[in-house]
Amino acid sequence: MNDAAVKGQFSVRVGGFSVELAFAVDAGRVLVLFGPSGAGKTTALRTIAGLARPESGRIDIAGRTVFADNDGEPPCWEPPHRRGVGYVTQQNHLFPHLTVAENIAYGLPDRRGDSAHRRVSHLIDRLQLAGLEDRRVSQLSGGQQQRTALARALAPSPDLLLLDEPFSSLDMELRRSLGAELRAAIRELNVPVIMVTHSREEALALGDAVQIIDAGRVVAEGPPLHVLEQPGQGRVARLVGVENLLRMQVAARLPQDGTMVCQAGERALETPLADGCAVGDAVTVGIRASDIILAAGPLPQSSARNTWAGVVSAVELRPPGYEVALDCAGTVLRCHITGASLDAMGIAPGQPLWAIFKASSCFLLTE
Amino acid sequence: MFLSSVNGNRGAVLGALAPAGMAATVLYVLFIGLPILALLVRAGQEEGFLAGLTGPLVLQALRLTVVTSVISLVIVVVVGTPFALLLARQGPTSRLLRVIDTFVELPIVLPPVVAGVAMLMAFGRNGMLGPALASVGVTIPFTTVAVIFAQIFVAAPFYIRAARIGFAGVDPAYEEVSQTLGVSPWQTFWRLTLPMARPSLLTGATLAWARAVSEFGATIMFAGNLTGRTQTMPLAIMTTMESSLGAALALAALMLVMSALSLALLSFLLRCRAEASR
Repeated sequence: MNDAAVKGQFSVRVGGFSVELAFAVDAGRVLVLFGPSGAGKTTALRTIAGLARPESGRIDIAGRTVFADNDGEPPCWEPPHRRGVGYVTQQNHLFPHLTVAENIAYGLPDRRGDSAHRRVSHLIDRLQLAGLEDRRVSQLSGGQQQRTALARALAPSPDLLLLDEPFSSLDMELRRSLGAELRAAIRELNVPVIMVTHSREEALALGDAVQIIDAGRVVAEGPPLHVLEQPGQGRVARLVGVENLLRMQVAARLPQDGTMVCQAGERALETPLADGCAVGDAVTVGIRASDIILAAGPLPQSSARNTWAGVVSAVELRPPGYEVALDCAGTVLRCHITGASLDAMGIAPGQPLWAIFKASSCFLLTE
Repeated sequence: MFLSSVNGNRGAVLGALAPAGMAATVLYVLFIGLPILALLVRAGQEEGFLAGLTGPLVLQALRLTVVTSVISLVIVVVVGTPFALLLARQGPTSRLLRVIDTFVELPIVLPPVVAGVAMLMAFGRNGMLGPALASVGVTIPFTTVAVIFAQIFVAAPFYIRAARIGFAGVDPAYEEVSQTLGVSPWQTFWRLTLPMARPSLLTGATLAWARAVSEFGATIMFAGNLTGRTQTMPLAIMTTMESSLGAALALAALMLVMSALSLALLSFLLRCRAEASR
């Protein structure tokens, strides 16, 4: 943590709302700030860029202290243009009076010189903008605008890159391809990145670490797979959108199998054994919709510990696939499947189906 | 630009009102066009026109008008630009600036003669600052400087108003992004804010210049009507109408051409920009 390329902890107040953050990011790594709108994510980015002034704390970028409250000593404060922080805003804010190439060259010291020209050409190739150099930004598609904004931010070789909802205006397919490009560019340039998003897919695809932010506070942090897929707290699970949250009761502990049985009404399932849970305790069990297999009948032999019978109550489009609601004797399970599976099985409301899921896909949440 | 947008959306309303619109257009064009045409025709017929055009009185008035109006415009732009930027950016947060914002356009609605009297009361020999200025050997009324004072007084609001709107139209988020790219606030103003507000600034400067050129009331009160020193073209027209109609018509025709040219130049500059940013 101490030799991280970028680190800081600060408290900032904007219009009566306070945001507290502590972070550290290594070069070539991506820290994702994940949370609902209004959680304070953008305020955090603006503070790191120097566009909002914290009340207290300290921020170091590439070994330079750009902000420190210094406990009563004269505070240290570097203005935004001396921080070396590239910032791509949610709306990109490309300069409308300049061409694509002029936008990218904007932050270069000698922007009409040879070295600037080479730098711009390199970024134009790297971000697949060739042929668009002399276009006005109003003539670009959403994805091209996004890439131009990224190239412009990267051109002055920043010590830190801040991305605010970088893909929010793009369609699903473009998000995927641009996400992969971004990932490769970050690795190649070896720049630390802090990215704000409220999309779980983006956080999983791009993040090396994630902090879940709610009401200006970090409520969970860690590796994206762990924090986003199997969150430990009910509050975090709701923030990251775990589809199935079942209120159950511990019915039996099976230490020899490493599992325990939880029950709600006549429905029971097996979960991993949790320390500190006694028989009779109330628990909340989380299951991701994508971890549930739908089958026309119970599998004759399988390693999955949980098989529930139910009836399809609803099918909804949920790009890139579908969400099937399966009513299992009053407990509704939400399952995500692809369009191909939906067609192959001919799934429609009223159809009886079986939901099959592993004990290890069930995780217990503390409130 | 305006015409093409109308062509693009001929709504049902326009369809129903088209005959009324045509009639109104014809009436209006005749009302404005006929006097202008009459002026040009009469100028062409007048014997003294050519002599007037090249006479010393007309040339002196032309030279004085151009010199004073350009100096006025430069001062208006240099002082008005930072002022307009402050109004656009700080106006909503400061009560004092909101009050100033409300009254900055007062000279537009104030009769120019009143402006002239007011400036006499401030800078005149017996005015508020007159004795102080006299003690350091400065006299302002009835000099060329007074002409410039009068022009600035009446013309500045036209520029400030347009510049304020132009700056308000530049989202400060662009300026923030510019700074994160390593560009200082001062450079950001030159490289980003100013070019983005340029159409409004050009429009405002053109209007302010045209207003300065046509200034009459405040000038005659505060600067007088001295040939070669304070007699600008509008004052010279007034004076020569009684003595030499040819010179008056020459001046009027010249001013008409200057006005038309300034509008054409503005339209050309705005079109260049619109095409560049398409």
